[in-house]
Amino acid sequence: MERAVLCAEAVSKRYGGVTALAGAELRVLPGEVHALLGANGSGKSTLARILAGATAPDEGRITLDGRPVRWASPQQARRHGVAAVYQELSLLPDMTVAQNIWLAHEPLRGPWVRLREVEARTRDLLELIADTVRPGLTADTLVAELSPDERQLVEVLKALSLGPRVLILDEATASLDSRQVQRLFELVSDWRARGMAIVFISHRMEELMEVADRATVLRNGRTVAEVEVARTDPGELLSLMVGREVAVEPLARPEVAQQALLAVRALRTAKVRGVSLGLRAGEVLGLGGLQGQGQSELLLALFGAVPSQGQVVLDGRPLAPRHPRDAMRQGLAYVPGDRQAQGVLGGRSVLENLLLASWERYGRLLRLRRARSDARQMVDRLGIVTSSLDQPVATLSGGNQQKVVLGRWLLRQPRILLMDDPTKGVDVHTKAELYRLLAELRGQGVGVILHSSDDEELLGLCDRVLVMREGQVVAELAGEALTKERLLSASMGAPVGGLP
Amino acid sequence: MTRRLGTLLRGRSYALALLLALGGLAANALLQPSLLRPGVLSGNLLNTLPLVLVAAGQTLVVLGGGVDLSLGALVSLCNVTFVTLLAARASAAEVAWAATAALGLGLVGGLLNGACVALLRLQPIVATFATSFVFAGAALYVMPSPGGSVPQGLVQAYYSSPLGIPNFFWGVAALLLPWWAARRTRYGPYLYAVGGDARAAYVTGVPVALVWLTTYALAGLLAGLGALALTLSTGTGDPLVGGPMTLSSIVAVVLGGTRLRGGSGGLLGTVLGVVVLSTVQNIVAFLGVPSWWQTLINGVIVLLALASARLEVLLRRRGTWAGA
Repeated sequence: MERAVLCAEAVSKRYGGVTALAGAELRVLPGEVHALLGANGSGKSTLARILAGATAPDEGRITLDGRPVRWASPQQARRHGVAAVYQELSLLPDMTVAQNIWLAHEPLRGPWVRLREVEARTRDLLELIADTVRPGLTADTLVAELSPDERQLVEVLKALSLGPRVLILDEATASLDSRQVQRLFELVSDWRARGMAIVFISHRMEELMEVADRATVLRNGRTVAEVEVARTDPGELLSLMVGREVAVEPLARPEVAQQALLAVRALRTAKVRGVSLGLRAGEVLGLGGLQGQGQSELLLALFGAVPSQGQVVLDGRPLAPRHPRDAMRQGLAYVPGDRQAQGVLGGRSVLENLLLASWERYGRLLRLRRARSDARQMVDRLGIVTSSLDQPVATLSGGNQQKVVLGRWLLRQPRILLMDDPTKGVDVHTKAELYRLLAELRGQGVGVILHSSDDEELLGLCDRVLVMREGQVVAELAGEALTKERLLSASMGAPVGGLP
Repeated sequence: MTRRLGTLLRGRSYALALLLALGGLAANALLQPSLLRPGVLSGNLLNTLPLVLVAAGQTLVVLGGGVDLSLGALVSLCNVTFVTLLAARASAAEVAWAATAALGLGLVGGLLNGACVALLRLQPIVATFATSFVFAGAALYVMPSPGGSVPQGLVQAYYSSPLGIPNFFWGVAALLLPWWAARRTRYGPYLYAVGGDARAAYVTGVPVALVWLTTYALAGLLAGLGALALTLSTGTGDPLVGGPMTLSSIVAVVLGGTRLRGGSGGLLGTVLGVVVLSTVQNIVAFLGVPSWWQTLINGVIVLLALASARLEVLLRRRGTWAGA
């Protein structure tokens, strides 16, 4: 068997109570393009970051040329020839293309930067992407003037300038057009022929089939297969990614009233490109798809927190929230998934956190006794584990913090609950409680729009699921059609498995 | 060819300061024709040298994404230290010792600021605001009330013109030449990268904390140099003399086209910015307008510079926190 250049052996990584990787394996050979595949939350990006030294693994080991290595930083990995390109970019807009590419490894003569060499070598690199970018793009162009696709390409060149032996491309094609993707693939083939190993992560199945030699499939943080791409097909890969485990106990789905609660037509924001949807009272509508396809932005737009265009009708009356307060008065509530950044006030008490959105109901001189009793009821109803109402929220567990955020909005008795990945990083027990609560709410006629990065959750909880891709709804799945295979293939933009 | 064009375009950050400086000098000369006499002009320029040096240090800090509110107080401290150590008839060795002590104090003050920001990760505004009181207090301890004097020979040397070129230009050259040289080393791109986006610079392998430390240390050293120049031009010590220089140095940086958020600008602009400030001051004095107008206008300039980015967003789309 050929000697691997970079290996991950039994790598595990946990974030708080959540397992991102549990014994993942990866063997990358020199001179191959190795695809890393998996559904949302399967841990492929975490594994890529561990390989590149951006994250440290909890367990397991990484070997380079058979020797175990422990990266202290991405720089160290880079010095040993492992470079990564991420979707989130690391370019400095006020500096030129050449300065960005050579930052921190400028060719020097004594203390002086060799400007001629920088320019010549940048020109050589830019030659690689000539004709796929605008003609005026030179080594001296400021990065601020580049379009997103051009920045992505410069980011690739920046990694390439290090002369890496292993190049990790994590969603590096996400913002490229088809011609640029083709060029990148030609280059990748060329680098492969010269012995470079390329680890390729992409949401586009057809790209993987075209460019990859072998593929490693991850599921729930575990490596489930290593396959030769030529001897497989998209259907087999998808079923490897899906597996057969069902994690979420399906929710009873009683008949939903026909009464329309919310109707959205052609909603647009910076990231949402014309979404229409309807929500009925007592319905749980899922938003699925890969992460970052505009789901969160759609919810924020409905809540008035990001500017949007389009028509939103609530109970037959137009709703055009320009501020979250407008949406709140109309009975909307938004439960964020990133509770640290958008949810709790960590240093403040459970009481204050619960009542933050409701103080106006307790008069000008706050009727604190009634407020306390309402908060106490909510704590009991949600089973929030806390020693008292005055305990700082930061001292609670993640699951209990999330319950506090949810309780804050339930105190307002909303008619529409917008939930943005509410179970991210929440333990299994709390998840089950949240699901139970969701069933209770839908029984009371609350309409729920639930965005989740956990496909099982969408399958188990939702009446219908809208699959989003690049800011648009690409599929609506309900009833018989609501299966994991279809959810995944619609997410990946691959019409596989006999979709309509 | 393209490179020359590119360099020219990128150099535009000081263009406004250049226009303002020329316009200011012209207006000043119209009101006060004697200004253009070589002696008067070089005397006026020489009066700006202390602020040029302090503002140059401020520029380095701002380019790196910080700000230093302690520079004025540090100038006061170095000024009174220098004067206190100088006897009226000091020998050359004693002068050298006093100057070294003053410069060393500036450097130590700068390192203290740098350590607060780069190692303790305090917010630059808060950290340097706090150290400014440390320096101001120390200055009052060294010299409770204005006094002392400097050997006449030193003052004469300061106002002389070696090789027929006024000292102002020697000072500016001693500032800009090393700066241009430093920009040709790795330090140049590092400084601009750290000020542009510290996180992106960090993940690219730039030693962010070290760069921050050096900007504050150099600013402290330049404050020490500014204090020496100030002492020679006033010929005396004053524990409060540097106070107004903090705001003035920031205004000069802003006028010079350096972005207060960091990552864009340069030293030449700041030198021109100081010239603009000084012509405005001259005009204000000549017209007999109360001098507090100058302070008020300086404050407004900084506020506008700080608000410009957000104002642009507010004018483009109103009423949401999106993108904030």
